[in-house]
Amino acid sequence: MAQMNMIQALNAAMDEMLGRDPTVVLMGQDIGFFGGVFRATEGLQRKYGEHRVLDTPIAEGGIIAAAIGMSVNGLRPVAEIQFADYIYPGFDQIVSELARLRYRTAGDFFAPVTIRTPCGGGIRGGQTHSQSPEGIFTHVSGIKVVMPSNPYDAKGLLITAIEDDDPVVFFEPKRLYNGPFDGDPHKPAVPWSTHPNGEVPDGHYTVPFGKAAVVRPGSAVTILTYGTLVFVAAAAAAALGVDAEIIDLRSLVPLDVDTLCTSVRKTGRCVIAHEATRFSGFGAEILAIVQEECFWDLEAPIQRVTGWDTPYPHAFEWEYFPGQARVGRALRAVMENA
Amino acid sequence: MSQYIFKMPDLGEGTVEAEIVCWHAAAGDAVREDQTLVEVMTDKAAVEVPSPVSGRVIAVHGAAGDRIAVGAPLVVFETGAAAPDIAARAPNGAAAPATVPATAPATTVAEATGSAAGSAAARVMASPANRRRAREAGIALSALAGTGPGGRILRSDIEAAANGRPTPLPAAPVAAAPAAAPDAITEIKIIGVRRVIAERMSEAKRTIPHFAYVEEVDVTELESLRRHLNERRRAGAPAGDEPALTYLPLVIMALARVLESFPQCNALYDSARGVLVRHRAVHVGIATQTPDGLKVPVVRNAHALSLPVLAAEIRRLADRARSNRATREELVGSTITVTSLGRLGGIASTPVINAPEVAIIGLNKAMERPVVLNGAVAVRRIMNLSSSFDHRFVDGYDAAAMIQALKEFLEHPATIFIPQGASP
Repeated sequence: MAQMNMIQALNAAMDEMLGRDPTVVLMGQDIGFFGGVFRATEGLQRKYGEHRVLDTPIAEGGIIAAAIGMSVNGLRPVAEIQFADYIYPGFDQIVSELARLRYRTAGDFFAPVTIRTPCGGGIRGGQTHSQSPEGIFTHVSGIKVVMPSNPYDAKGLLITAIEDDDPVVFFEPKRLYNGPFDGDPHKPAVPWSTHPNGEVPDGHYTVPFGKAAVVRPGSAVTILTYGTLVFVAAAAAAALGVDAEIIDLRSLVPLDVDTLCTSVRKTGRCVIAHEATRFSGFGAEILAIVQEECFWDLEAPIQRVTGWDTPYPHAFEWEYFPGQARVGRALRAVMENA
Repeated sequence: MSQYIFKMPDLGEGTVEAEIVCWHAAAGDAVREDQTLVEVMTDKAAVEVPSPVSGRVIAVHGAAGDRIAVGAPLVVFETGAAAPDIAARAPNGAAAPATVPATAPATTVAEATGSAAGSAAARVMASPANRRRAREAGIALSALAGTGPGGRILRSDIEAAANGRPTPLPAAPVAAAPAAAPDAITEIKIIGVRRVIAERMSEAKRTIPHFAYVEEVDVTELESLRRHLNERRRAGAPAGDEPALTYLPLVIMALARVLESFPQCNALYDSARGVLVRHRAVHVGIATQTPDGLKVPVVRNAHALSLPVLAAEIRRLADRARSNRATREELVGSTITVTSLGRLGGIASTPVINAPEVAIIGLNKAMERPVVLNGAVAVRRIMNLSSSFDHRFVDGYDAAAMIQALKEFLEHPATIFIPQGASP
């Protein structure tokens, strides 16, 4: 077992699948010769050749459209969109073609396309390199949406995505590429090499879709979160001394409703945390489900911690980012006497 | 639209801060002028603070237990043209949505609560989990008085009702485990009345050298007087008109007489100036057990009240204190305190002085005992008086003499009603 960061774990997943399955093809801007802007595909073109690891033009609509065509003809494309902020030119292809192909053809055709894309802020990326648009995709029927928060899950979920016969949008919280991040930008960065989830098995393994991870068991309150906010939430709960059960959703669609609701029924209190904006965000969907399933067990109104409903700012990044203070405020609110 | 910042008002002379007891309004609520916003606690009294304006609450400052300085922001309102006329807004809160989604989801929350406000007065406030608990326990929520913020019914209220206990002190469990194991602990934040009690008790015990003095009093004659008055009252008055007379008003009448001769016991110590202030008027604090804890409402000018007026005043004040309706004025200004635990009075006790007073008189249980009287054993009704004095200002000799004088009045109750010049 090797200690890896998330980039290395993603690279290992693609390396494993390129080696196992001759129909797997990688494609995207600067992923081949250059190895990707975040180095996720480094060395793979050299190892598997230009016909397996393709450099594409800067045309996201074209990348996704080509991937759909290739998938219908028997390949398993893994398309990289360099930043989730750039995925919108391909949005029509994703919504109108990719998501509906199996339905539209009554199952005659299907599209095993994986779209990898780095998301989230905390890296001084401003409004064009920091967005968290996962909620836009969870709203589209016909695609699966996942977001790992650590190297182990990243490799296992990416292999599951590539092997899945239906389209998957695979979000990579880029602030977590190099280490877990507790939301305090002034602390020295912590590398994955010191974290248990930085241990990544060699070879093939999968992390299933539709299965959330209980990061920390607890009894006082359930925190439902994913991506960058997993570690922020854990640090906020620890700082307050609240015995929080922290659940990393990992897979947004399909969603592990059982694990979420079992926990909320146990604790009676729920905080939902994500980096994306609040209004019509994915947190609203979770909140609705928890309310429907756990209403008679709720001790207090469910709280949401999210980014503000503004574009991701160029300045004031740490005022925008939902850090420990905001999670702490929600925890205190939900713990108030009831 | 304009904002109105409501600052903590001056709640009485010398008040520099007040502690939030519970909020009756939250951010997003529409409130009318004079509607109660928040209950706060000064060093003596719980005070309900009414809203100075009509409008929508944007923010409230401070949680239960927090102390807010007089003059510090308490509530921020949105008032003016778009401010809510609750009734007009209720049916369709569709005024703003077009601009809401992008920037201000908080407004939609306010919208929702605003439209519900019309029926809020009649609605019982309780979390879903507590509604389920009440249903399972067969308790009607509408029959409970919530002790939570805004009168919300808490888990502890339901458990108290289920156990037939009175509603306990409002407490904020920091992390109450849902299913309490036998060895589970409960953390209770010391706020509100309890914090005031705790601070005053500590202060009194820390600064005052207590001199305790216990004496037994033969109240056989007092008892026969009391019984006579009760029977006469029952014969004359319509049934159920007035509750029975207790020892307390009689003792206070006697005490007022005694203090004419012992002014050093009817005094307040002003520690800031180092001055002992003797009072001619006798304002008697009555230590009263309430659901929130110990309170001391004050019978003012007890020396000037007749027995029935005094008895009625004691009952009125105790009722107001127990139902948390006593005003600040009714809870301050005592010059001496009497504490009586009634049937729980025991044989002797060591009462804590209600600073800055210098004396507290405790009544123990009155019961029939065999006593030697004129060389023979007789059955007499005996009650002990357990009192404490501030030994800095009241010498043991004077304290003992004062209690002996009180004893004499109580053992010969007719003398209580004889003016001083005529007494032996």
